Amino acid sequence: MHRRGTELRGDMRRHPQWAVATMAVALTILSGEPALARVHHHGHRTIHANPPAQPAPPPTSGMRTSSEPSAPQSVAQGVAGAGKTGVPPSLGVKDAEPVLGKSVHSSTGEDMGRLVDVIVDTDGRPRAAIIDFGGFLGVGSRKIAVDWSVLKFVPGDPKGNVITVALTKDQVKAAPEFKEGSPVVPLGASGSPPPQAAAPPPSAAVAPPAPAAQPRAPAASPAAPAPPSGPAAPPQAPKK
Amino acid sequence: MSLPAAPRRRTKPASDKDDTGRARAADGARSRAIVPVEAPPHPSRKSLRGLDWFVFFVANVQTGFGPFISVYLTSAAWTQVDIGIVLSIGSLVALLGQMPGGAIVDAVPSERLVAAVSVSLIGISALIFALWPIYIAVLGASVLHSAASCVLGPAMAAITLGLVGHGGMSERLGRNARFAAIGNGIAAAAMGACGYWVSNRAVFVVTAVLMVPALFSLAFIRPAEIDPERAHGGQPEQPPVRPLSSLWQPGRIKPLLIFSAAFMLFQLANAAMLPLMGSVLTMRSSRWASVLIAACIVVPQLLVALISPWIGRRAQLVGRRPLLLLGFAVLPIRGVLFAVIHNPEVLVIAQLLDGISGAVFGVLVPLVVADVTRRTGHFNLALGITGTAIGIGASLSTTLAGYVSDHSGSESAFIVLAVIAAAGLACIWAFMPETRPEDQESGIRGQVSEDRASGVRYQRADLTPDR
Repeated sequence: MHRRGTELRGDMRRHPQWAVATMAVALTILSGEPALARVHHHGHRTIHANPPAQPAPPPTSGMRTSSEPSAPQSVAQGVAGAGKTGVPPSLGVKDAEPVLGKSVHSSTGEDMGRLVDVIVDTDGRPRAAIIDFGGFLGVGSRKIAVDWSVLKFVPGDPKGNVITVALTKDQVKAAPEFKEGSPVVPLGASGSPPPQAAAPPPSAAVAPPAPAAQPRAPAASPAAPAPPSGPAAPPQAPKK
Repeated sequence: MSLPAAPRRRTKPASDKDDTGRARAADGARSRAIVPVEAPPHPSRKSLRGLDWFVFFVANVQTGFGPFISVYLTSAAWTQVDIGIVLSIGSLVALLGQMPGGAIVDAVPSERLVAAVSVSLIGISALIFALWPIYIAVLGASVLHSAASCVLGPAMAAITLGLVGHGGMSERLGRNARFAAIGNGIAAAAMGACGYWVSNRAVFVVTAVLMVPALFSLAFIRPAEIDPERAHGGQPEQPPVRPLSSLWQPGRIKPLLIFSAAFMLFQLANAAMLPLMGSVLTMRSSRWASVLIAACIVVPQLLVALISPWIGRRAQLVGRRPLLLLGFAVLPIRGVLFAVIHNPEVLVIAQLLDGISGAVFGVLVPLVVADVTRRTGHFNLALGITGTAIGIGASLSTTLAGYVSDHSGSESAFIVLAVIAAAGLACIWAFMPETRPEDQESGIRGQVSEDRASGVRYQRADLTPDR
């Protein structure tokens, strides 16, 4: 849609955005050792916050890599599968996979659209995924922010269902459209889009207790009752 | 050919009615002298069939390049920013290229060649999309596609005019619109299926392959039957004093600009309606949204295919104005219906109205432009002028609708679009003259009366004194 014309000014930021997105998802192979360690560190914390949502890739104890001298430039594909042994720091195809543009499915296998962007906070932690939902031949699709905690990643899934979201179409359809530059209101595990009155009934099936489960109604303003993990607005900054 | 009579008439900024009177009063001898000069075209059946299928396959090819590009690039792991840049540059080129594209078609001796080259370029750009979804290649392909489309549109209109002449234009454009609509509808359905079951990339491979039957059907059109002079709107009766002077006179440029302005409003209201409605459908009906949107795209095309030939015939019988008013009147109604109807299935039925305005749009835009550019040699340039206006309306439309919808909801956005459409209707109603030629200004009288039963009514009225 031509509305995107306003994004021309983002040209210069193209590559930084890529970098941020991929790093945040922690699935790109980064050559720099510290960066890798950092990403693992955050992945670790996230796992604590949301036990069901984040099936950790095998080398969960990512810190191990920092104790190893390790071959810094090893290419992941070259050592696919070797990550299981724990020795090399590379991520095998079963451990990690790029997600930008990948299809998102519901737990019942419905097509939920594609993951088109990742919202990170000031710590570089992924907070929400932007999913391009619905439509036909590009007409009528809506971009919706989904809380990171309701996403499940299965790298190298043989059926291709790499990304699964613990929401149904009915829960996603009424969510407010994501707009760059305005506060993000991710759709939480309860499936309740805060500002919409016609929210579907909350399904408590997947409800991680606290921090990452996004604030409900009041989060629309940056000064909202911030959860311990920080405000939702700052992640917008790098995209401007 | 009867040069003395011409300047006198041209200097009068007259409405069509005045023109008629004057032409009749001028001298019957002048008209009679012209008749044998422009023999009525008798395009062969083969050429006309070729044009049918060329229009059909071009519509096929062009369907792949809609909003679907965004879906495809997303699946190729493009960021939304990059996609936005590529699409914006593409539409900018498409906008700026309209008038140069028309001027090129007016200048070339072979419309067929131009059409062949531009179809090939479009096919190549589809191939680039499919093979190399990397930034610079896609940007280049997008620019290539936009530029080629700017030439292809006028070239098709020029081939049509060159084949059938002004007298047969109305009916033939109805037929063109039918084949284009069938092509669009089938292609949208097929490409949706292809994207779903095969891959998004396959859609562009198919698009590129469709270039072959398009070129094949173009080859069926006999070049000898396309009169280049006729294809450009006929030569001016006297050599133009300065460039464009034949087009730039009040009797011609004024209706053209009014018409362009009205269609700019039309597209400003129309272009965003379907996407916005699709977005609303996605919000209201989770499971069937995609199917309903597909229906909203395909079903109006079927209606266009059904009624365009009728529109073409009516345009010759009752004139352009009543049909323009019909097409413009339907649009605000559709906007209001979208604002008040909440049932998704009923929305699809309201979308059928799009078929009516779509048919009017498809037939009458080239037809009215052909009317006002008779004997100027600038038919395609004028098409470019109108195309630019339409393009501006279309590109502002989604921005406007998106803005209103973000701030006050989709209902308000539909109402705003309906109001704009009503302004377009008012513009046509208040300012647009009837452009159906009532006199034999272009000297095609013999042709009209022989060719087309549809032309008989007004012809008889006007010609009786002469015969």
